Amino acid sequence: MTVVQLERIGKSYGSHTAVREFDLTIQDGEFLVLLGPSGCGKSTTLRMIAGLESITTGTLRIGDAVMNEVEPKDRGVAMVFQNYALYPHKTVFDNMAMALKLQKVPAAEIQERVGRTADMLGLTEYLGRKPAALSGGQRQRVAIGRAIVRTPKVFLFDEPLSNLDAKLRVKMRMELQELHDRLGVTSVYVTHDQIEAMTLADRIVIMNNGVVAQVGSPREVYDHPADEFVAGFIGSPAMNFIDFRRDDTGAWASVDGGLRLAALPFATGGRSELRLGIRPEHVVVSAAPAEGDFTALVRLDELLGADALLALEIGGTRLMARVGGTNHPRAGDRVGISIPAALLHAFDPATGRALERLTTGG
Amino acid sequence: MTVLSSRLDQRRQAVAFGFVTPTLLVITLILVYPILQSILLSFGDSSIDGSEPWHFVGLKHYAELMADQRFWNALGVTLTFTGLSIPLELIFGVALALLMNEHFRGKGLARLAVLFPWALPTALNTLMWRWMYNTDYGLFNAVALQTGLAHRPIDWLGDATLAMLSMVVVSVWKTSSFMALIILAGLQSIPKELYEAGRMDGMTKWQEFRQITLPLLRGPILVALIVRSMDALRTFELPFNLTDGGPVTATESLSLYAYKVIFDFIEFNYGAAIVVAQFLVIFAMSLLYIFTLRNKD
Amino acid sequence: MKTRPRIGLYALVVLSVVISFLPIVWLILTSLKTTAGIYAWPPQYWPTPITLANYIKIITDSPELLLYVLNSFIVGVGCTALTLSIGGLAGYALARLNMRRAALLMVVILAVSMFPPVSLLPSLFQNFLNLGLLNTYTGLIIAHTGLFLPFTVWMLASYFSTLPAEIEEAARMDGMGLMRIFLTIVIPLSWPGFVATGLIVFIFSWNEFPLALVLMTQNAMRTAPVGISLYPGEYAFPWETISTATVIAIVPILVLTAIFQKQIVGGLTAGSGK
Repeated sequence: MTVVQLERIGKSYGSHTAVREFDLTIQDGEFLVLLGPSGCGKSTTLRMIAGLESITTGTLRIGDAVMNEVEPKDRGVAMVFQNYALYPHKTVFDNMAMALKLQKVPAAEIQERVGRTADMLGLTEYLGRKPAALSGGQRQRVAIGRAIVRTPKVFLFDEPLSNLDAKLRVKMRMELQELHDRLGVTSVYVTHDQIEAMTLADRIVIMNNGVVAQVGSPREVYDHPADEFVAGFIGSPAMNFIDFRRDDTGAWASVDGGLRLAALPFATGGRSELRLGIRPEHVVVSAAPAEGDFTALVRLDELLGADALLALEIGGTRLMARVGGTNHPRAGDRVGISIPAALLHAFDPATGRALERLTTGG
Repeated sequence: MTVLSSRLDQRRQAVAFGFVTPTLLVITLILVYPILQSILLSFGDSSIDGSEPWHFVGLKHYAELMADQRFWNALGVTLTFTGLSIPLELIFGVALALLMNEHFRGKGLARLAVLFPWALPTALNTLMWRWMYNTDYGLFNAVALQTGLAHRPIDWLGDATLAMLSMVVVSVWKTSSFMALIILAGLQSIPKELYEAGRMDGMTKWQEFRQITLPLLRGPILVALIVRSMDALRTFELPFNLTDGGPVTATESLSLYAYKVIFDFIEFNYGAAIVVAQFLVIFAMSLLYIFTLRNKD
Repeated sequence: MKTRPRIGLYALVVLSVVISFLPIVWLILTSLKTTAGIYAWPPQYWPTPITLANYIKIITDSPELLLYVLNSFIVGVGCTALTLSIGGLAGYALARLNMRRAALLMVVILAVSMFPPVSLLPSLFQNFLNLGLLNTYTGLIIAHTGLFLPFTVWMLASYFSTLPAEIEEAARMDGMGLMRIFLTIVIPLSWPGFVATGLIVFIFSWNEFPLALVLMTQNAMRTAPVGISLYPGEYAFPWETISTATVIAIVPILVLTAIFQKQIVGGLTAGSGK
């Protein structure tokens, strides 16, 4: 049972605070992904768990032990680095065996454990090679193997796939998934790639400016973003944000014109202004405008393959929409659009917090 | 100022301090402590063997210094030498760097050739030149007399002005290559796109040099100037081996004069005053450079 | 169109090379002449006959000139080894271990390297005399180490900071201590930096004059530049011996420079671009 507890953990360098009040319990066997833009504090948090950065405030527990002052090697954690961080002057075998040698594990056992791990990762024939003679994917496998050999209580991954090309990244992502299913070891994974986060995570922690913006399952953060930052960060292309103002009649009209919604299913709390969000994939586009649709002009169309992106203009308001790639509307066309109220998001324009959805009978 | 709360950090700091300690010890023993001791010596009287313990005499040696014609002469020689050789080294350095930045066959060999004068001991370089300057058997007079450029042997090192110029020539010969290397590294770090953009704008070669090359070389040139000026201001073995400061004291640098006072006249305290004064000159010069560097940025 | 500037270019290159080599070549030619040839009029530009007599004479009559070269070698190797080992540790701590006030220390180290060597002499001479370090290899090795440590620390620190930090962090996760990381990871990965720095320090030590002059007062302990400079003493310079001894003393440097040209140039120019 390895539960990792971060109790109000913080890191500051002089007057600069990199991570503030990080409070989370990572469950045994959980795959937790830390997601956020560069400089958001996700790597610093991981490195504090690893012991590569000291913890300024708060308490870190791995299992039952407080780890704040424990050397990295004694924390029972293993880490996979972005640039692989293999010893270039040592063979694959020596790279994988290093930690065990330093722990004075008997040579026969080292041989056995490295051999078994290499076998699992398909590295057996490369054990005698130096890292320079391996491909990027193989190097990353060695880096993972080096972590596995130690049989750690926690795996730490620091953007392990971002140095690989797109195709290899997908393949390695799936291998990581299988590996986690097989080993079931608690894992913390840092990335700025939301697809990696969505596909790998049991839970995602989205960070911004050193603060946790939201913790939740991939489904939750996609369907119910806690604030405008999360809403804009998750999903590609990014969510459309449109400012609305309540007019004399009590209806909501877009500030730039063109859109008008009679009622909103949100606890607007007497606000007269708010920001609505709609994901491009949720905008319904029809070639022939139906009753109640807004009419929009297609300014640009981009075919992505299976899908197409449309840059739409309704009155003065601009909107991105994602539609099927066959026979999609072209630039210059006039189309009808509708925005399903159930898929709308609403945010307070001042704080960025999501507004609560009203629970209607239906 | 910040208190390290983490013992993890404290342990690392302790090891880091342990790593730095031997270096700090040696630097203190060889550089810092002797400088402080020289300052102390310059404010007192003592004897080397300790028979006369050090006692404070205030500014006595500095008062002597102010009245010492030979000190002012040495300062003048040092400044003249620096003022003549540094601009020449800079011109030749830039020219050599531009040359070495071109592509031609045998470039490696040519670069090696200009590196040699820098790599060899100044003392021995000086001997080579002294041999060429030799009045009776030297290469220069042989060529000068045989080609009819001169009718009687030229006393290169025996005439005050010629001796100074001869010394400058040796220095320029030796260190232009060092200047060139630093400037060349700067040249090679200028992005090619800038020149391509310049050509699109219709710049001539000279405009390229003035508008792109020179402004971007300012950093490396200043570094080279600082390093070389400090070297020139403390020049020692060059006059020591070329002229021994002569004729009379026409090429006696501050370092050479200080050395003679200390080890020939065995006047440690007065010698210390000279080296402290020299140190101040060098310090002032480096401040001046840093000040100009700051102002331009 | 294209050939004329090329001719001008080659002319300039040849001129530079000739000027650079002239004193060295003239010295070598001198060392290969007979004594009569050296002092002949009209001057002998090419040695006729070419003779190794001067070299043989040094071995038989003035073996101390060879001893000077040996002394230079011992001091140079000792100083290089000591400088690299303690300067490497310091450079690593300053570049990599988040040392407090590391930047300030680096500036202080740079500042003390500006002290003119002659200003150290009165005090160093006295202290070495009292400590019994005059005329010892140990003494001059320590003195040269102090003189060239600032350069070494700066060179190596800037080299270390180009290495990816992740490898050292991985080593830390694997359970290595800092000393072990330095010895088994950092040194093998930064040997080009050590080679370049070591070569330059060796050349510096070989060429250093004022401290070698003052701290080695016994003839048998002198280094090559000092020993050869002081060789003739009072009377006329025996140029046949001096030129030959000088050739012997500069050959090691010429060879080193020729073989390791790239490393030396790279090392010298590394810090100046910033």
